[in-house]
Amino acid sequence: MVYITSWDDFVEKSVQLFRADPESTRYTMKYRHCDGKLVLKVTDNRECLKFKTDQAQDAKKMEKLNNIFFTLMSRGPEADISEVTGKEQMEVQPAKKGRGRKQ
Amino acid sequence: MVLLQPDPFLNELTSMFERSTEKGSVWVTLKRSSLKSKVVRNKMATAGEEIDHRCLIRATDGKKTISTSVGAKDHQRFQASYATILKARMTALKKRERKDKRKAADADKKTKVSKKKRSRAL
Repeated sequence: MVYITSWDDFVEKSVQLFRADPESTRYTMKYRHCDGKLVLKVTDNRECLKFKTDQAQDAKKMEKLNNIFFTLMSRGPEADISEVTGKEQMEVQPAKKGRGRKQ
Repeated sequence: MVLLQPDPFLNELTSMFERSTEKGSVWVTLKRSSLKSKVVRNKMATAGEEIDHRCLIRATDGKKTISTSVGAKDHQRFQASYATILKARMTALKKRERKDKRKAADADKKTKVSKKKRSRAL
């Protein structure tokens, strides 16, 4: 099994895989605290996509992918995920702005 | 397999993370499911009934398996709490390289504190 190295690639391919077969596609994350490793896996029992990391910043990205899959799986494969993927960024940025001057 | 309500599930998931800090892993799986058997599903399909789907969440530490499910109405609340738990528990992952280097530099600059000995006459 080959791990996908590019995060964006992994997200795009896993969403595609789910949409192609929503009934049998599952999304699993494995976290191993003692080794500090995180593995994400999406499979439909025919194709398997995996992503491995030990970086904390990737856990943040995973949060977004979790939200994508929660939305897709509970609302249906046609659900609009553009809102889910863009939402956090829009919420985070205004909070940084507009609080006094830095000088 | 124990099917729990979302909140007890999250509590149990937290203790699973706590139990596996020294050794072991935790798996969490999301799957779209109707929570019905294949026979029932086929029956419903032939009767032309619409099959309702939910998001099934399963978690295991290799010894114990728990599960819950969320629907279109309550998934947002669940995913927010789930994200909070992950953030609090996934602390073994590495911070960015850049920050690590700065920390290392700070550690080297440790200033030496000279100790003064005072003798007191009583």
